[in-house]
Amino acid sequence: MTAMAPSVSSGESSAPAARAVGSDTQHWVEGLRSSSPHFRRTTAELHALLLRVARYELGRRRHALGSIGGPELDDLAQQSASDAMLSILSKLEEFRGASRFTTWAYKFVIFDVSAKVAGHAWRHHRPEEEPAWEQVPDAFAAQPVQSAERREQLTVLSQAINSELTDRQRQVFVAVALNDVSIDVLALKLGSNRNALYKNLFDARRKLRACLAAAGYPLPAEEVSS
Amino acid sequence: MSERGLDDLLGVQDGDAGCIAGEAILDQFADLQLAGDDPAAVFPGTAVHLRSCPGCRADYEGLVDAARRFGAPPE
Repeated sequence: MTAMAPSVSSGESSAPAARAVGSDTQHWVEGLRSSSPHFRRTTAELHALLLRVARYELGRRRHALGSIGGPELDDLAQQSASDAMLSILSKLEEFRGASRFTTWAYKFVIFDVSAKVAGHAWRHHRPEEEPAWEQVPDAFAAQPVQSAERREQLTVLSQAINSELTDRQRQVFVAVALNDVSIDVLALKLGSNRNALYKNLFDARRKLRACLAAAGYPLPAEEVSS
Repeated sequence: MSERGLDDLLGVQDGDAGCIAGEAILDQFADLQLAGDDPAAVFPGTAVHLRSCPGCRADYEGLVDAARRFGAPPE
């Protein structure tokens, strides 16, 4: 994986040993081999399952798709199922049985739907320009009760956003953390990818925490969003 | 963002495995959860990551949901 920061680990290589392959997994793996006499039937069976998952997942992410209609939505599901099927067949030899086959296969269709939803959102519902970082304290100030210390904290934060972050870190932090812009849509906007933007977000948060700590407002070390 | 606290805005934790490492094992992570095991004990870096990365968290939630609804019984 991509190294992210000194405190970010370099990967999750401690995968558990492959489990005993169950009959369901065996059915899929053997049937999807191009030499299998059941290849056509098995691929049709899997495609039908992938299509159900794609339709369900698109429904789950419906809020990000705006006013897309039924036929267009189903076309998107068909594309995702077909694209996922191609990925699965090309990576079949990489499957080691560490999870159920269907869970492994569904991962491809979920990723594909995720990417297609972001692409659709970017093409049809581009996010408006984010409010400038200077508005950050104003948004917090909308809360009814604020102590002087709280206001001072927000001033420090606002100044740090301006002076300590790189342009890219500021852009990502303001969009994703402050304005709930989808990280995948922002990645399309910036010609980047999720992993790179997540690293920008991670680094921005660390810098801002350090600035608050230096100003006398440390956040608890174990404090994470959950 | 009006109701958020600073901890929510600035939440980070050491040991974050990142997006790519999580993608590779997301199916295993999901099956461990569905089997009632603790995936964070096996993949702690991805557990940290899923708390902080909205994109990966959405994918993970979709995968767990799909595996639960359309998956074969545990093997």
